[in-house]
Amino acid sequence: MRGARIPDERIPDDMMRPMWSRVLQITTLLAVPASLYMVFVVAPIEEKMGVIQKIFYFHVPSAFMAFLGVGLCAVMSVLYLVTRQRRWDLVAHAAAELGVVFCTIVLITGPIWARPVWGVWWTGEVRLTSTLVLWLIYVGYLLLRQNAENREQAARWAAITGIVGALDMPIIYKSVEWWRGLHPVVLKMSGGGGLDPVMGRAFAACVVTFTLLFLCLLVERVRLGRLEDEVESLEQQAARRPLTAATDAGGGSSR
Amino acid sequence: MTAFEPGTFLAGLLSGLLAAIQDSPAVAPIAAGASAVRPDAVERGLRFLATAYSVVWTILGTYLVILSFRLRRVSRQVRRIRERLGL
Repeated sequence: MRGARIPDERIPDDMMRPMWSRVLQITTLLAVPASLYMVFVVAPIEEKMGVIQKIFYFHVPSAFMAFLGVGLCAVMSVLYLVTRQRRWDLVAHAAAELGVVFCTIVLITGPIWARPVWGVWWTGEVRLTSTLVLWLIYVGYLLLRQNAENREQAARWAAITGIVGALDMPIIYKSVEWWRGLHPVVLKMSGGGGLDPVMGRAFAACVVTFTLLFLCLLVERVRLGRLEDEVESLEQQAARRPLTAATDAGGGSSR
Repeated sequence: MTAFEPGTFLAGLLSGLLAAIQDSPAVAPIAAGASAVRPDAVERGLRFLATAYSVVWTILGTYLVILSFRLRRVSRQVRRIRERLGL
């Protein structure tokens, strides 16, 4: 029936997702199998490492998304410290959480790739260690936010942690050039990126898919933050209401 | 019935996956000159690859499930308070 809509029993209307968010989710759902097809069917098997090299297609985009999360958190934290607007803080918190999720993926898939190729799960070289440090800083950021009693103060301290933590990013990026180790320079900015063209296309598909996934999760995480804020403000309203009613009643009787 | 705990579930799954890829230390790393096209190397590579991909999707899936649980819980909370306040 045209125009008739079954009301959602669980979620109020103003909490429903906007149309563009639905489009983003559907695009992501389509992009995931497409990128898997590119990786496992289209991309050739690398000569030296064999099939294990295919970890690259998710390991590196995950690292990009971890950087995106951390970078976004830092930028939003600066904006929050300058303007003190809650919305920037919400996005910074969401981006930091996603940064930790993707950094966790990097830190787990890296050793799984390293074991058959290098013969060790972990080495103490700078890129690996600085990535672990980044993860620890942002886990600390999340713990700080979770355990703080004063929200304003926590947001301020978290913003500073977010900005300071992001300073680790250039160290991670440049570490393989500054200190020679086992970890290769993943992508060269010149000379066609150092990848076979078909591999390059599969890699680009994975980067696009992971970016879409990141955006989807970011939108939902920011929405969660907004809803939590709404709960807090409604609870304050509810707590004030009986008091107001009592004051009104008291005021009425004194007249 | 015990409640579903994503953290415990993830830890169990990861330890299971790591146990599955415990390979013999006698096998030479590919970087040391072992051929990646030998059947045993291919099989070993596939095991590691499957583990890595399982880890990626398990982490993303778990995060998505936790996020949707939290969203649903907070949405319900908002609705309940609004009803109580008559909004």
